Amino acid sequence: MKQLKKAGKFLCSMKFAIILLVVLALACTVGSVIPQGESASWYTANYSQQMAGAVMLFGLDDIFHCWWFIVLTLFLCLNLLCCNILHFPKLIRRMKQGFTPAKSISGWDGKVAAETKRDPEKLFAKMGFRNVLSGRLAVCRIAGEDAGAEAAAGPGQNVGAGVAEVDQDAGTAVAWSSQTAGAEAAVRMEQNTGAGEAVRSGQTAGAEAAGPRQELEVRYAVKNKIGIWGAWLCHFGMLVIIAGFGLGQMLKTEYTVYGVPGQTKPIGDTGYELTIDAFEVKLREDATVDQYTSALTVTDSQTGRKESGEASVNAPLSLFGMKLYQNSTGWAASLDVYKDGEKLQEELLCAGEYAAVKDMEGLAVVLNAFYPDFYEDESGQPMTLSPYLKNPGYLYSIYYHDKIVGMNVLTGNDKITVEDYEFVFHDPQQYTLIQAKRDPFSLLAAAGGVMVLFSLILAFYVHPRELWAVRDGDGIWHIGGKSRKAGTMYLEEIKNAWAELEKEETKDGK
Amino acid sequence: MGSEQFLKLENGLFTAVMVLYLIAMVLYFIFFAVKNVKAGRIAGWIMTAGFVLHTAAMVTRGIGAGRLPLTNQYEFATSFAWGICLCFLIFLRKYKFQALGTFVTPVIFLIIGYAAMQSREVRELMPALRSNWLGIHVSTAIISYGAFGVSFAVSLMFLLRRKMRDNAFWQEHIPEEQKLDIISYRAVSLGFLFLTFVIITGAIWAERAWGSYWSWDPKETWSLITWIIYALYLHLRLSKGWKNKSAALFAVIGFVCVIFTYIGVNTLIPGIHSYA
Repeated sequence: MKQLKKAGKFLCSMKFAIILLVVLALACTVGSVIPQGESASWYTANYSQQMAGAVMLFGLDDIFHCWWFIVLTLFLCLNLLCCNILHFPKLIRRMKQGFTPAKSISGWDGKVAAETKRDPEKLFAKMGFRNVLSGRLAVCRIAGEDAGAEAAAGPGQNVGAGVAEVDQDAGTAVAWSSQTAGAEAAVRMEQNTGAGEAVRSGQTAGAEAAGPRQELEVRYAVKNKIGIWGAWLCHFGMLVIIAGFGLGQMLKTEYTVYGVPGQTKPIGDTGYELTIDAFEVKLREDATVDQYTSALTVTDSQTGRKESGEASVNAPLSLFGMKLYQNSTGWAASLDVYKDGEKLQEELLCAGEYAAVKDMEGLAVVLNAFYPDFYEDESGQPMTLSPYLKNPGYLYSIYYHDKIVGMNVLTGNDKITVEDYEFVFHDPQQYTLIQAKRDPFSLLAAAGGVMVLFSLILAFYVHPRELWAVRDGDGIWHIGGKSRKAGTMYLEEIKNAWAELEKEETKDGK
Repeated sequence: MGSEQFLKLENGLFTAVMVLYLIAMVLYFIFFAVKNVKAGRIAGWIMTAGFVLHTAAMVTRGIGAGRLPLTNQYEFATSFAWGICLCFLIFLRKYKFQALGTFVTPVIFLIIGYAAMQSREVRELMPALRSNWLGIHVSTAIISYGAFGVSFAVSLMFLLRRKMRDNAFWQEHIPEEQKLDIISYRAVSLGFLFLTFVIITGAIWAERAWGSYWSWDPKETWSLITWIIYALYLHLRLSKGWKNKSAALFAVIGFVCVIFTYIGVNTLIPGIHSYA
């Protein structure tokens, strides 16, 4: 049981989070260096035997989808979740009780940015602080190193308005009263009763203050308390992103459909059909591609309802809650097969596709590539001079029982003849490849992204800042403040703001 | 003025910017080596002038090309140097110590030198790059990388200052370690916020252009690695008290990752970002 608790504690710890992040960063590095998604033979051909073996054994060929990468990500989610659950009550408590004059000003003499006899009221306004509290602070030095103490506001005091704190490190007990008239806040000490515990109002037992007591006039304000939620919200946002991404990977539907204008094809098993009404490749004067646009119609096979629109690169089309992306393009051509002068079959082949001859088992024609403006360079390599359809060239191969029996480029009205069969390519045209996707969880991931961004602004630029001014017995105001993130530079900011204010006031005075 | 003339003007401005940055770098070096404070002040003015001309060069190229000049290696490299210069001038104005220039200007000069080696030919954009997201995505990357560049320079200062504890000039002209540490942290915070912005806007754009907001493309992966490294920096700093030397070393490693994400990934690892 004890060990289980220990393991649970470790799973929720920052240490574990750091280990996970380091391992995930290393895994990502490996995944970016080793080409992903290649066949086993590719790794054997390109790496040493041991290395290829390791790649396949540890799933490094598809690292971002392998089981251990997913397990690590799940552990990271668990860690983030635990961190958020554990910190939530702490943050609520800190919002309610964490920012008080007594807590902040305890040990104030080490955090002074400026000293003046002038009223520092305007400084609060200049630095953007509102709701400035005015009151009195009773400070009592605790004698002895181990002096644990419990401070209590004076008898009958409204503890809601008066807050008492003990700072064992600074050796002080302080009580704050928002009542400005008279020093009602009193400090009572009881040694060795455990420092820093909550105030127990009405407690009368306890020794009188062990050290000299000071009563000081104080101004205090706090701003950006909301900033303490930055890190929490960031972790929550990360969880939402990972959840959105993970659920999307598992539950999204994604199909590719390709064809030439006029063709209608089913979109996987969605029950919808996609008709390609038109496809245009807009070229610039320099023959580079300006845009690819497909005019599409999706039909619900059951109801017959249709929806239409245009999809182009960077402008997907939404039909029936499905997103249609203009994903790719290529060339296609019609292939006529003749036997003894009679047309046996006609097929439309996209580059890379094959057609099996119907009445001759094992005979097939592959359209390997298409060149719209065919040209053969000095080394005999086929290529295209431009994207315009000027001189079509069809690179084909003939297979017979899985063996290549012929390969060449057809141009003009050339025909391929294999025994009694003739093959003719004609009517080349560009096909369009459409990706149809439905991923309702992408919105969840986007929401997580917005949360993370907002949270980082909170964490870095809206972090809590406290400002106070304490007047000592000689009437001198000691101005200081606290900011966990800005540290000593915050004192410098206060100092600069005060100097600016004094300068402005001197100028106005003149 | 036709687009050709704008591009010619940009060419001239770019050369002037390179010369100004070089002079500023030399003056900053003199400031440090000869302990000549005036040289440092002049270098600061020259950097400001260089930045103004640099901005003008980028605007001129944008007009000449008829689009945002943020799409190829040359354009992004010069924008990267511009981003570091912008962050440097902001930090210089805020924290007022010229010595920062001694450490930042070599980085700027190296990056702009890299830009000078790239092809300056203006090409039309491929359809995938013709999006409003391009401006948002790349401009946030410039700020992010610029801030990381400054954090790198400040961290180097921190590490060297420790070794120069007995040097009065260093003590006088370089802020105390604690302050350097916080400046570096602030630069990292700014860079991290913008890097997050870069990743998120990139994902939104990828979803529109490629139909997938995350494809584990090497550029995406390395952006994530860089993000993780800076996330580790922030976590270790806030919760484990990794400040000062450890934090400075982390910031240096982080910037090495930034450079690899920008140059290394494009040149060494092929992917769908290979045009960038």
